[in-house]
Amino acid sequence: MTTQVEAVQFDYSGAALPIPDRIRDCHLRDWERLRGPGAWWSGAERVAIARQSRLAEDCGLCRERAAALSPAAVAGECPTDPLLPSAAVEAIHKLITDKSRLSREWYERVVQAEGMSEERYIELLGVLVHVFAVDELHRALDLPLEPLPEPLAGAPSGYRPAGAAKDASWPPILLPENAAAGDLDIYAEMGGRRPANVISALSLVPDNVRWLNDQFAAHYLSWTEMGEIDKQHRTLTRPQLELLATRVSALNECFY
Amino acid sequence: MPYADLLMAYADAAVRRSKDLAERRAAIESALGAAAAVDAAATVANYQRMVRIADGCGIPLDHFTDEQSAEWRASLGVNEYYSALNTYGE
Repeated sequence: MTTQVEAVQFDYSGAALPIPDRIRDCHLRDWERLRGPGAWWSGAERVAIARQSRLAEDCGLCRERAAALSPAAVAGECPTDPLLPSAAVEAIHKLITDKSRLSREWYERVVQAEGMSEERYIELLGVLVHVFAVDELHRALDLPLEPLPEPLAGAPSGYRPAGAAKDASWPPILLPENAAAGDLDIYAEMGGRRPANVISALSLVPDNVRWLNDQFAAHYLSWTEMGEIDKQHRTLTRPQLELLATRVSALNECFY
Repeated sequence: MPYADLLMAYADAAVRRSKDLAERRAAIESALGAAAAVDAAATVANYQRMVRIADGCGIPLDHFTDEQSAEWRASLGVNEYYSALNTYGE
């Protein structure tokens, strides 16, 4: 008889540095969110998006394109994925490796491609960035990447908030004044103020914003803590945290 | 700001995948403690996510940020970033 011991997810007990429970608990929730069906992608497709985000790191074609004066000058296609439209794979790789040269034209091309839509792009981006942030934390601490979870069965809900509309960014967004009662929680910490553009950016799929609120608070500060400029919520001081944030943004040439 | 150079060097190493990452992290741990090194890693990870949301959606600056940062953005050359087009037009 053999006994199968299930591996403990996000086991940081052997890590050289103390990972707070706040972060581990969030990562466990991240993997649960990842593996279930979303609004526009199945659980298996969401896990495939995560897998591609890791493969992009080692994609030779993407590296060549990122280094080229114009990415269009380098012909070729990224490796395909049986579960994802090729436009989705191309978008994932671009968002990981060459994100400082994204344009509205690029966005329009992606969302109009076969198998894509604005809703599917926004959910893809939501899955991608939250998995990427977990992976980046591991890389920054020289921890091995967590194995991706087994996907759950089930169909996507197809939920698109009725109040979503074009505003300042490329995709439609859901602003608090247009949100149905069931979606108002995504801006609960805003206290009635208009959410910053980076918070509402993913709101065409409201679960993206719920995920963002949760992970942002675990990795950095909650939106409420962000407003408490004079309080120290972490070991690093607020100016030290902001310095790191600004440096990462500058290295990525992110104007926002 | 205390230890600004150590923090920036660590962010550089993490984002650029530099070989001196462990050394940079150890420098923070030595100067500020183990919990601070984890804070730094989590902050880097957090903003590796946020920049992709911002540029993946083409969002413009929020009005209050636009006004407050106008002077230093110009002096630092930030207005030259490609993604400035999302705020000032294409």
